[in-house]
Amino acid sequence: MDNNLEKIQVQLQKDIDLPYDELKTKYISTNGLLTLAMKAIASIPNDQKAAYGKGINQLKNSVTELLDQKKNQSLIYSPNNRIDPTAPFDVNTPKNDRPQVWDIKGTKHPLHKEVEKLVEIFQRMGFDVMESKQMDDDYHMFESLNFPVGHPARDMYDTFWTEDGFVLPAHTSTMQNRALKQSNPPIRVVLPGRVFRHEATDASHGHTFYQMEGIYVDKGISLANMKATIKTFLEAYLETDLEVRIQPSFFPFTEPDCEFVISCPFCNKTGCSTCGHSGWIELMGCGMIHPNVLTQGGIDPEIYSGFAWGFGVDRLTMIKLAINDIRYLRDSNLNFLRQF
Amino acid sequence: MKISVNLLKQLGKIDKSNEEIVTGIKEHIGEVESYQDLSKDYSDIMVAEIKEKKDHPDADKLGVYQLDTGEKKLVQVLAGDKTLVVGDKVAYLKPGAKVPYTIYTEEKPFIIQSREMRGLLSDGMMGSEKELNLGNDHTIVMRLPDDAPVGKPFAEYYELDDFIIDVENKALTNRGDLFGILGLARELTVIFGKPFVTPAWYTDDTKNLREEQSCLGLNIINDAEALCPRYTAIAMDNIVVEESPLWLKSALIKFGYKPINNIVDITNYISQLSGQPLHAFDYDKVISNDPNKSETANITIRMARAGESILGLDSKVHELNDRIMVICDSTNPLAIAGIMGGSETEVDNNTQRIILESANFDKTSIRKTSMMLGLTTDAGTKFKHALDPNQCIPVLKEAVRMIKESTTGTISSDIVDLYPTISEPKEITLSLSNVNTHLGIDLQKDTIVQILKNLEYPIVKQDDDLLTVLAPTWRKDVTIKEDIHEDIGRIYGYNNIDSILPLRNLIPAKDNQIFALKKKIRQIFADSGANETDTHSFTDIPTLEKANLDADKAYKLKNALAPELSLMRTSLIPSLLVKTQMNLQEGYDKFILFEMNIPHIQGYEDENKLPKEDWHLSSVITSIEKRSDSAYYIAKRYLEKILSTLNIQDIEYTLLSEFSEENLSEEIKNSMYMFDRNTSAIVTAGDIVLGIIGEIDNKVKGNFKLPKYTAGLDININALNSIDIKNNKYTEMPKYPESRVDLCVEVNNDIQYKALYDSIYKDINNDDINGKVTCLDIYKESEKADTKRITFSLAIRNFEKTLNDKDIKSITQKVIKRLESNFQAKII
Repeated sequence: MDNNLEKIQVQLQKDIDLPYDELKTKYISTNGLLTLAMKAIASIPNDQKAAYGKGINQLKNSVTELLDQKKNQSLIYSPNNRIDPTAPFDVNTPKNDRPQVWDIKGTKHPLHKEVEKLVEIFQRMGFDVMESKQMDDDYHMFESLNFPVGHPARDMYDTFWTEDGFVLPAHTSTMQNRALKQSNPPIRVVLPGRVFRHEATDASHGHTFYQMEGIYVDKGISLANMKATIKTFLEAYLETDLEVRIQPSFFPFTEPDCEFVISCPFCNKTGCSTCGHSGWIELMGCGMIHPNVLTQGGIDPEIYSGFAWGFGVDRLTMIKLAINDIRYLRDSNLNFLRQF
Repeated sequence: MKISVNLLKQLGKIDKSNEEIVTGIKEHIGEVESYQDLSKDYSDIMVAEIKEKKDHPDADKLGVYQLDTGEKKLVQVLAGDKTLVVGDKVAYLKPGAKVPYTIYTEEKPFIIQSREMRGLLSDGMMGSEKELNLGNDHTIVMRLPDDAPVGKPFAEYYELDDFIIDVENKALTNRGDLFGILGLARELTVIFGKPFVTPAWYTDDTKNLREEQSCLGLNIINDAEALCPRYTAIAMDNIVVEESPLWLKSALIKFGYKPINNIVDITNYISQLSGQPLHAFDYDKVISNDPNKSETANITIRMARAGESILGLDSKVHELNDRIMVICDSTNPLAIAGIMGGSETEVDNNTQRIILESANFDKTSIRKTSMMLGLTTDAGTKFKHALDPNQCIPVLKEAVRMIKESTTGTISSDIVDLYPTISEPKEITLSLSNVNTHLGIDLQKDTIVQILKNLEYPIVKQDDDLLTVLAPTWRKDVTIKEDIHEDIGRIYGYNNIDSILPLRNLIPAKDNQIFALKKKIRQIFADSGANETDTHSFTDIPTLEKANLDADKAYKLKNALAPELSLMRTSLIPSLLVKTQMNLQEGYDKFILFEMNIPHIQGYEDENKLPKEDWHLSSVITSIEKRSDSAYYIAKRYLEKILSTLNIQDIEYTLLSEFSEENLSEEIKNSMYMFDRNTSAIVTAGDIVLGIIGEIDNKVKGNFKLPKYTAGLDININALNSIDIKNNKYTEMPKYPESRVDLCVEVNNDIQYKALYDSIYKDINNDDINGKVTCLDIYKESEKADTKRITFSLAIRNFEKTLNDKDIKSITQKVIKRLESNFQAKII
């Protein structure tokens, strides 16, 4: 190795304890040792250039490595003293530097903003609010909802289980039994919450999303009431008149079981990308609560009847805010969050 | 479930357009996944015959063919397949025709054009099985039967001028009867307002088939009666296995099956038609493979034994266990019951004698086996939706009829029928007024009765309001009266039901305090420059460990999607640290992230033995600016912003390193190591521990590459909600001017600000006077100094008068005296 380079290498060993800023100045500033050595390559005889270049590279690596190490260390802060946690600010903090609320753009998460709006509408309509659990048992997730053990409909829900045998709810219906038991009819409750599905993630599917369940139980409650209640709510939320359709579907916890379909509020049924050019959007599952579910909830199905529905809040939010990838909702990128 | 509209119309005598049928299914039965108009897919494709064949002068690999397409002039087509000979019949795709395969696989279908290939014009194309969407072979041009009429549209000849509807299986989950086209035809006929008449063969349960020739021994034992309610079989001889006729192949292709041979194809066809899976065993193979040599085929239905395995028709070995039902010879499994046959007894081109099985298996057992073996087959899918055991014999007989029609087959055994408990139709009584109330409609009795009759519900009894019917045994889903309400509503049409809002009383809805509190906090934080996030509940060991958390306290998922999603998080803070790091890299240098969600700590359970679910407000505050003060104070500032807005007072902050651990909740014990002990505090309100705020631990900051000025805040919202918020009553506002006094106090470092503040506050607030205390400065001469100086500003008023200098002096003296005696304070 070139003499000069060797000298610098030796010097570097001696400087190993220098703080980051000093090291940086000494070696890689415009007049730094390494910078100068690199410039010197012009004056090296051609037959030695290759060897010199190699030496320079080695040296450069050592310097960079040391600098990186120092930089990480400088991130680590060790307070010498205990602070006084009861004080409004730290000792010797200049007057204009004392902690204040920051003047930057704060935001609510778009999804929670929508949950709040949805809940407010239902509260105005006279519904209670009960939030869903995020870890539950088989009874609430399946059995109380008329999914006996071995029922094929259990396959419809790709459910996560913990090693202790708890289930991560795949739908907010996991709260139905609790909502039914909580009080005597009339029961009007909406049940928003985070749910989990064991499925691969892409732009329109997440393993985690929000759902909002609702139930209405009283004497003489009918499918016609269900149709009107959901329609009224959606018109209030989407701030437009809608045409609605009900299609048959299957859920073990309702009888009849339906799919609620609305005319696309964005294109007036002429077809757009939101409705997949069909003019209609399938928005949620719903139906009349199965008598077995009422019975499990301590309610006599011979006296009372009721309806229930559940929809995905993520999808509704995405439709409303024209968000094209469900993953953005959980990515927490400020470029995204500060748009709302 | 794929259905052919042609077949549907034939069975149901439905006189409706394809569009009407699709809409009918959607509105009255269930979701339609897709539909395709085959005749359109195959337009401009004709049957053609090869009239001349030549080699290409400039391309070894191309053959030059002249085709008779039914037009006057022969058409020249070039092809890579040089094995074609004059006289072969082929499917000719005219220029302008779409290649059927590409219609569903490409964004835009490939359209045939006339083009030059090495100097010669190719005026169209001859399709391979794959290109015609009729099979997988794409190496050679598909040959059509010799009698194919030249010039006939290919779709018409192949019976592909059909409309295929794919009904979503999920929508039929409880309708085993709709996994056969017969069931769907019944529903659709009724939807379009006509009664359906099930074909006579389907209900003919008499075992009237007699041996015709060469009696074959067939001995069947059912050792799994609980899971196999019915097993029927028959032996046949003189079978000629050959290619199926065109119509059958075409029908199977339309159902999505691959044609194999006449026997297999007939069983598949009838299975799709009726929903009842059938299986054919090679009789001779059953006998010759049986280790106990016998003249008779011995068949046993039993549970498999651990260690047994079977080579399936999928050419894979399936390991069996005692929860899997199998069809066996005297010793070894021949088939996985209800799911898949075995390759050792498979019907092949040399088969002459067969055993035809038509059985009924328990849906749960089939579903579990299918899951255990990871084996999804058409038969399995049908069985797991519950089938009618009463259809076994009729379907078996129909298969025998078809086999006899298609080959020289003869019946060579009686029908064996093991059916100990006969499935009887269930009697259900419904109230007509109840039907109308439940659905919110007003149907006349006649209408309701007609709908049920059309659906083939026998009416047993009727009076003014009550109607007793029998649920057909194929309707395994109908067990209670509400199931029949659904049928009535569905057939009548949900879209004919009006929207009627329920009438409700004026009882106000209950308040959800936690939800309301979260809403307030969200508003306060968002108004204070913080950004709300919504991060995943899943995490992994490395992330928890990087945050100084004990991964053993996390619930582990049994079926995680990926290793990095294998644990339930025990705190929201690590998620926020990850996202803080990400946003720093994104170029943001000063921001606050917060989230309100539920962490889970293993073993930390509620009164119902379920994981305790308290809501947490967690936040990470960071800035890359160089500051001399501790980031603890910004976290405290933000917490106090919430507390003061909520009017919560009397909160205490205890340095983490000074809090005795035994008084800490599981939650705080878990999360405290993320915080620096000397610059963080436990926040309490009386006995209630609210949470922890302060600087993130140095090591953790290093692990997540976070700047020095990074603080965290973790508050239990349920605890916060449990604080009694005092409703302050009005106190008289002082009328006289205030007097200000500044007071600089030097005390030992270990005297806390709050102690001094409280002492002063107490002395200037009583019946006579009212005072406020603010802090002007906290000063320390050097880092190592033992004392600090705190400058307070006191603003004092008297309720009755203007205070004079003497009054102020006396009040101040009192304040000072107490500070001196209680805190050894020096007044500077």
